[in-house]
Amino acid sequence: MDATVDVGIRHLGFTRKPDGWVTRLFDNKAFLVFLCLLPSMGLLLVFLTYPLGLGIWLSMTDTTIGQPGQFIGLDNFIDLMDDPVFWMSVTNTIFYTTVATVGKFALGLWLALLLNHHIPFKAFIRAIVLLPWIVPTVLSAIAWWWIYSPQFSIVSYVIVDVLHLRSTYINFLGSPWPARWSLIVANIWRGIPFVAITLLAGLQTISPSLYEAALLDGASGWQKFRRITVPLLMPILAVALTLSVLFTFSDFQLVYAITRGGPFNTTHLMATLAFQRAIPGAQLGEGAAIAVSMIPFLIAATLVCFFGVGRRKWQQGEAND
Amino acid sequence: MTEQLVPNSPAEVEAIAGRSIDVPELLAWDSRLRRTVTVYIPLALFVIVLLFPFYWMTITAFKPDYEMYDYKQYTPFWVHSPTLHNIEVLLYETNYPRWLTITMAIAVGSTFLSVTSSVLAAYAIERLRFKGAQHFGLAIYLAYLVPPSILFIPLATLIFQFGLFDNPIALILTYPTFLVPFCTWLLIGYFKSIPYELEECALIDGASRLQILRRITLPLAVPGLISAGIFAFTLSWNEFIYALAFIQSTDRKTVPVAILTELVTGDVYQWGALMAGSLLGSVPVALIYSFFVEYYVSSMTGAVKE
Amino acid sequence: MTIARRDAIALGTAAFGAAAIPVIGARAAVDDVPTANVKQPEYKIESGASLHVLRPAKFIDPDEVFWKVNTKKFIDATGVDVKVDFVSWEDLRPQLAVVANTGAGADIVISFGSDPHIYSSKLVELTDLADYLGAKYGGWYDLALLYGRKWNTKNWIGLPIGGGTGPVLYRKSWVNQAGYDKVPNDHDGFLALCQKLQKNGHPCGMSLGHALGDANGYSEWLLWTHNAFVVDEKGKVAIDSNETIAALKYATELQKTMIQGTLTWNDVGNNQAYTAEQISLTFNGVSLYYTLLKSPDPKLNAVAADTFTQDTPFGLSKRKPQSAAPLNAMLFKHSKYPNAAKEYLRFMMEADQYGVWLSNCLGYWCQSLKAYSQMKFWQSDPKLTPFAGALDSPFYDGYKGPISAASAAVIANYTVVDMFASVVSGNATPEAAAKQAAKQAERYYKSA
Repeated sequence: MDATVDVGIRHLGFTRKPDGWVTRLFDNKAFLVFLCLLPSMGLLLVFLTYPLGLGIWLSMTDTTIGQPGQFIGLDNFIDLMDDPVFWMSVTNTIFYTTVATVGKFALGLWLALLLNHHIPFKAFIRAIVLLPWIVPTVLSAIAWWWIYSPQFSIVSYVIVDVLHLRSTYINFLGSPWPARWSLIVANIWRGIPFVAITLLAGLQTISPSLYEAALLDGASGWQKFRRITVPLLMPILAVALTLSVLFTFSDFQLVYAITRGGPFNTTHLMATLAFQRAIPGAQLGEGAAIAVSMIPFLIAATLVCFFGVGRRKWQQGEAND
Repeated sequence: MTEQLVPNSPAEVEAIAGRSIDVPELLAWDSRLRRTVTVYIPLALFVIVLLFPFYWMTITAFKPDYEMYDYKQYTPFWVHSPTLHNIEVLLYETNYPRWLTITMAIAVGSTFLSVTSSVLAAYAIERLRFKGAQHFGLAIYLAYLVPPSILFIPLATLIFQFGLFDNPIALILTYPTFLVPFCTWLLIGYFKSIPYELEECALIDGASRLQILRRITLPLAVPGLISAGIFAFTLSWNEFIYALAFIQSTDRKTVPVAILTELVTGDVYQWGALMAGSLLGSVPVALIYSFFVEYYVSSMTGAVKE
Repeated sequence: MTIARRDAIALGTAAFGAAAIPVIGARAAVDDVPTANVKQPEYKIESGASLHVLRPAKFIDPDEVFWKVNTKKFIDATGVDVKVDFVSWEDLRPQLAVVANTGAGADIVISFGSDPHIYSSKLVELTDLADYLGAKYGGWYDLALLYGRKWNTKNWIGLPIGGGTGPVLYRKSWVNQAGYDKVPNDHDGFLALCQKLQKNGHPCGMSLGHALGDANGYSEWLLWTHNAFVVDEKGKVAIDSNETIAALKYATELQKTMIQGTLTWNDVGNNQAYTAEQISLTFNGVSLYYTLLKSPDPKLNAVAADTFTQDTPFGLSKRKPQSAAPLNAMLFKHSKYPNAAKEYLRFMMEADQYGVWLSNCLGYWCQSLKAYSQMKFWQSDPKLTPFAGALDSPFYDGYKGPISAASAAVIANYTVVDMFASVVSGNATPEAAAKQAAKQAERYYKSA
C-alpha cells in the first residue's frame, strides 16, 4: 500500500491551476475547519444535544405520557432519593458493570492470547468468535432466556437428565443473586468478542523480538506476560475498557428481554427502570430523571477508566518512542 | 530490540503479525502436548461456549413445534424430524425479505453518513491543527456518554417536527449520534499513524488541502475507514430502541424490531420462525465480518498507536 | 391496503383451520344477534380520506385475517384507504406513547386497558357512536362502561372493541385423580386441590414474575378474593390492610404447591409449562387452549381434549374475581379524517362485520356489547364459556379507585406482583411487603 501511494505522489505533480475564488476559499483554513466539522457537529447538535437538553428539562417536570407537565424543579430527584427500587437499580448497575467488565476483560484477554497463536483456520475462527457481537442483542437475549428457563433450560437438562448431578432443574432467575449472576454471564458472553478482537489488535503490535529478547534473558511465560504483554497492551486496553464500561452501564436490551427487572425489581438496571417508569408506567418525568441520574455515573466511570488506565498509556507511549 | 520490527504503519503490522506466528514454533520447550492443553482445549471451549446459543437457534429454526418442549422423548440437542416450515413462514407469510432490504438500506445509509462526517471531523481535528481542536475532540467523545434510552422520547418529538416520522430516513439521521463519536475517535487515531511529512511535502508541492485529503490521506486510511464502516454497520443493523419508537408501519420495520414485534403473538412465541429470522438477519453482517475481520483488527491497532 | 400474497396464504390457512372446528357460517352468525331499531349516526366522510390503524398483534390467525377482511369490505364500500398495522403487546405502549406525544402517525390506536384515560386530553370523544352502538346491541358490559367512559361521566373517550380474560385452565384427568371433578370455588378447597395435585407430581403454576398479563391477573385475583384492594373509591391507597396480609399468607401457602420458577415466568412461561405437561392448572387466556387444539401434534390435541376451563375461584368475592384486558379503540385529535375514522369504527362494530370476526376468533376475544353473547358459537364448545363473559365483571386494574394514569402505573411497575413475589419467596414479611407496596402505590396516586 505504501508503494502505491509513493507512486501516486510522484505522478500527481500537483500543478496548480490559477486560483479561483473557490480554490482560495477551500484553502482558507478557518473555512475548511468549519466545513469539515459541519456535518458531524450538525448531526450531533440537532439529534443529540438538543434532545438531551429536552430530556434534562423533562426530568424537572411532572410530565406524564398523556399530559404536558409543570416545572417542578428537583422534586423528581428528591423523590428518587427515598425510593429503594431506584437505589437497588443503582447498586445493581454498578455491580453489573464492574463484574461484567472484569469478566469480559479476563476472558477476552485470554481469548485474544489464544487467537494470537498460529492455529489452523485462523481467519475463520476469528470471524466466528465475533458472532455474539454481531447478532442483534434482543434476539440473542431470547436464546439466553430459553437457556435460563426454569423448565426448559438446556443447561439443567445436561446436569439433571444427562449427567444426573442434580435431581431438580436449576431455578436460574428465581431469586435475586442467581438472577444477577445469570444476567452477568449473558452480558460477558456478548462482550467477549469485542474485547478479544480489540485486544488481539493490540497484541499484534507487540514486536516478537521483545519476547525473543526476554527469552534470552531467561524470563518465564508469566514474566513475559506481566512485563511485556500487559504494559504494551495498556493503550488499547484503556480504550476498549472505556467503551465496554459505557456499553455495559447503559445496557438495556439484555435485562429487558431476560428478566424485565424481576424477580421483584431486584435485577433492574437504571436504564431498564427508566424505561419501565417512563413508557409502560407513563411517568415520563420520573423516567427522564432516572436516565439523567445515569449521566454523572457514566462520566465518573469513563474518567476512572480513561485516566486510571490511560495515564499509564501516555507514559508507555513516551517510553516506546 | 531490533528497530525494523516495530511497525510504523498499519500495513506493516500485518507483516509483523504474520511473522509472530512462527515464533512459538521456534521455541523448543513448546511441546505438542503442552500446546494442546494451553491453546487448543481452551480455544475449543471458548468456541463452544460462544457458539452454543447459535447452535441452539439453528436447531430450533428447523424443529417442529412439538419437539421443542418434550425433552424426554426428543433429545434437545438434535432435530429429529427437521422441517422447513418455520423458514417458509418467515419468507412467505411475513414481510421478511422486505425488512431485510429496509434494514440494509438504513444500515448502509447511516454508515455512509457517519463515516463521511467522521472522516471530515477527524481530519479537521487531527490534521488541520486549529486552535481548540482538542475541545472539539472532547465534545465529540462526550456525545458517546449519552445512551439512546435517554434520548428516544425527546428525539421522537423532533423527528415529528421534521416530518420524518415513520420514515426510514429518521433512522439514517439519528443513528450517527452514536456512530460518529466512535468512528471519529477511531479515525483520529488512524490519521495520527499516517506520517505528517507526506502531507507537508504535498503542501510544498502546491497541492490544496482537499487534494491532500482525497489523494494521500484517505487512500492511506482505507483500513481505518473499513473498520469504522463495519463498526457503524453492525451497530446500525442491531439498533433497537430508535427503530422501535420511530417506525410504525409493518413494511418499514428493521429486522430486529420486526422479528420481535411480528413473530411474538402475545403469550405465544413462534419460536421456530423467531430463531430462523434471527439467524438469517445475522448473515449479512457475518459475511461482512468474515471478509474484513483482518482489516478490523489491523486498524484498531492503528487507532491506538500514539 | 393490499391483500398481498401472505394475506392470501393466511386466509387459506384460516379457512382450512376453521373447518376443523365447528364454526357457524357468517350469515347464520349474524342472524343470532338481536338488534334494536336505532337511527344510525351519519358521519360525512371527508374527501380523499385515508386512515392508519394500529392494533395489537393477532394471537390466533383468524383475528388478523377477519379484521383485514372486514377492513377490505370498508375500503370497497367507501373508497377510504385504510392501513392496519399489527403490533405486539409489549411494543404497543411505546408506539402509542410516541403517537400521543408527537401527534403523529396512526389515526386510530386500539390498545389495552386504561390507555384512553391516560391520553384522554388527546382523544376525540366518541359518545354519539358509543350511545348508538349500546342502544342497538343490548347495552355495554360493566367493564366496557368503566373503561370506555371518562371516570364518573357519560363521555366516551374509548370505544371498547372487546376483551380477553384469564380463567382457570386445568387437566381434567389430573384433577379427577386428585379426587375432584372440578376446581373448588373456595380458598381452602382450592389450596387442598393444589396440594393434592402437587403430591401426585402434577403441580400447578401461576406467574409472579414480570408478566404483564398473567402475573397481574393472578395477584389481583389473590387481592380481590380476600376483599383487599389497592385503593378505595376515592383513590386513596388502601393496600396496607389486614385483608392484604391474609392474601399474602394464602399466596405463600399456595406457592408451596407450585412448580419452581414461577417467579421468573413472563407471559410465555405458563403456556410453555402447560404445553409440556409439566403443570396441571394455571390461569390464562384462551391462547393456550387454542394453540393446543390447533397443533399438528396429536399429543397436544389430546392435552387440549383433557383441558377444561372454569371461572377462577371466588373466595370471599361475590362476583367473578377475574381481571380482564379490555380492548379500546382511541381516535386521536390529530387525525385529519375524524368522520372517516368514526365511520370505520361503526362499520367494524356492526353485526355483519363484528359477528364474523368474533365468531371466528373462537373466544379469543369476547364481545363488549351484550347482544353478541347470544351468538351460537359460544355454545359450540363449553370450554369457551368462561371466556365469553370476560367484560361481565366489576373488577378492573386499580379497583376500587378511578381508572387513571396512576392505576396504570401501578400495573406497569408490577407493584402488587412484586409485593406477592417478595413474600412468597421469603424475602419479606407480609407486613413489610404490604407497607412497601402502599408506599410505592402512593408515589403514583399522589400525582393523580
